[in-house]
Amino acid sequence: MNGEASGKIVRVLRMPVSWRIFHWVNFLAVFAAVVTGIYIGRPYYQAMIAEPAVRKFVMGWNRAIHLYAAIAVDVLCVISFYLYFLSRFERPVRKLLPTKEHRREFLEVLANFFTFNRRKRFDSAELDTFNAAWFTLLHLLLLFQLFTGLQLYVYSLESGLSSVGGWWPWLMHAATDWTYWSFGGRMGVRWVHHFTMYLILAWIAFHVYYEIWRTVYWREGDIAIAFGGEKIVRRQPGPATE
Amino acid sequence: MRVIGKREVASSSSEGFVARTGQEYEALRLRCERRLRELEASEPLNQVSLPSLLRDRGMSRRSFLKWASATTALLFLPASFEKLVARAASVMNRVPVIWVEYQDCAGNSEAVLRADGPTIDELLLDVISLEYQETLMAPSGFQAEAQLKDAVETFRGKYILIVEGSIPAEDGFGFNGPRGEGFLENLKRLSRDALAVIAVGSCASYGGIPAAYPNPTKAMGVWDIVKGKPIVNIPACPMNPANLLGVILHYVLTGALPELDYLLRPKFAFGYRIHDNCERRAHFDAGEYVERWGDEGARNNFCLYKMGCKGPMTFNNCSIIRYNDGTNWPIGVGRGCIGCSEPGFWDKYAYERPMAGANIPVPGLFELGIEKSVDILGVGLLTAAGAGIAIHAFLSAKYGKKSEEAPSSAPPKEKP
Repeated sequence: MNGEASGKIVRVLRMPVSWRIFHWVNFLAVFAAVVTGIYIGRPYYQAMIAEPAVRKFVMGWNRAIHLYAAIAVDVLCVISFYLYFLSRFERPVRKLLPTKEHRREFLEVLANFFTFNRRKRFDSAELDTFNAAWFTLLHLLLLFQLFTGLQLYVYSLESGLSSVGGWWPWLMHAATDWTYWSFGGRMGVRWVHHFTMYLILAWIAFHVYYEIWRTVYWREGDIAIAFGGEKIVRRQPGPATE
Repeated sequence: MRVIGKREVASSSSEGFVARTGQEYEALRLRCERRLRELEASEPLNQVSLPSLLRDRGMSRRSFLKWASATTALLFLPASFEKLVARAASVMNRVPVIWVEYQDCAGNSEAVLRADGPTIDELLLDVISLEYQETLMAPSGFQAEAQLKDAVETFRGKYILIVEGSIPAEDGFGFNGPRGEGFLENLKRLSRDALAVIAVGSCASYGGIPAAYPNPTKAMGVWDIVKGKPIVNIPACPMNPANLLGVILHYVLTGALPELDYLLRPKFAFGYRIHDNCERRAHFDAGEYVERWGDEGARNNFCLYKMGCKGPMTFNNCSIIRYNDGTNWPIGVGRGCIGCSEPGFWDKYAYERPMAGANIPVPGLFELGIEKSVDILGVGLLTAAGAGIAIHAFLSAKYGKKSEEAPSSAPPKEKP
């Protein structure tokens, strides 16, 4: 934990610059993927451009942006899983180990939320186990979108050819064909890919609310983490903080 | 093109060789030559001769050569194979075929026999030694059964069994013949001695419409029942006779079944999506869609995606070879594809409404439509999340305690 002591208040670095960049790129990519993904599923506006069909690519651009966003999300997902294990700043995977202490802390964070902050018996200066699990859930949902999305993509490359070589469709088939059989065919894969979007939106809704709620009730400036990387915590006077 | 199998007829295993280079095509040509010489030396099973049949129906040699050229292209063979394809067509009467019908509407038989012709494809299906076909044959009852028995014994292990219609696995459904033999037993018995089984139409391939929810007869496709035999599925509702002819011609020409995909469909016909070769594809990419039947978009041949077209999810060659001798096809007449060559199409694909508005009840989705159920569940989930957040925020405001209210831990407020 890095921080600067100032009386009883300590500023704590919770997100280095790189993590904040990842956070906002991830947000933008998910936002773009949702907007374009809904259009792909059900085109909700007509192309009113006065050009012949071959000269405008409204669906084409929606699909392109969706895929570019997916690439960004997928790369960030891989980076995130790497950082979970090998980050030099903080390794969230440690918080995911189901030790007795972590289970207690997890329940304490929930108790804090459901007692509306009347009970707070954990150290909010660092990543808590609840948020560690909650963030992991997002990455798993994004990973799931990666598998189902690539399955929906690869069947258009049925020829086995791609601009980067035959290995790419082969790899996608090898990695994602389990989704075809697991969800009862292509329509089933569409279903879960579409539905998982809603799960991600619900995840975002709770995440934003929870960070605002923490900011309001804990008074530790949690919402600032995503922007400045730091929050403040109170430290009782004593040898630990001096 | 890829020929599968070193044996006389092989299944969709990975044995075989791929013909992509000039040398490989030359090897394939020699193989086909050898095969055709053997067939030409053998006795025809059916005395119908193709040249005389064509002459009788007023087909010119030029029409026949045009057909040979188109069929060579259909099978993804180079133009140098045209003569071989023409030769193969004339020895198709060396291949015994038994055609059985189960739970179906006879639409595939109709597709073969349709009355706008006759086309060369149809004439060729006359040339094939069709030993048994309930819709076409004159005998019935015990006579028909005797003919079937005779055909099975004479051509044991050599005949191609063509199956039309799904097979009910539920007791009490589907019997044929004077002895009332169940479809299931009938298929098991006939497939045992067959060289290969070709399932024509979606019903025989995957159960099709009879297998649609709630599937009262527990209808199944051939591949659910027949094991240990080479199976080719030629789905669609109905299948395109050109694809059936392509499979048989491929067998006559090479002695092997064509390369199949993971659903046992011949790749030459089902190796690409309708969407990728659709005449309205440019409108899809452009974002120009038909919104309602008969609207401005419909009058301008815009994309039918929003009207429920399943071309993007369906593998078939109807966007190229079309139906009724290339006359037209569903999207050509202004309605979307219903994905009839995909498994479970009736429940999952066949609605002519915007996908998100479809309301086809399917099992496990609370009687909601496929796409609609996602949106209803998803919006419900978001609403629940929003409501939960609102309730929590309200209770926090009413009963919550901000940390600064704890005298021991709150930081002092800065005085102005």
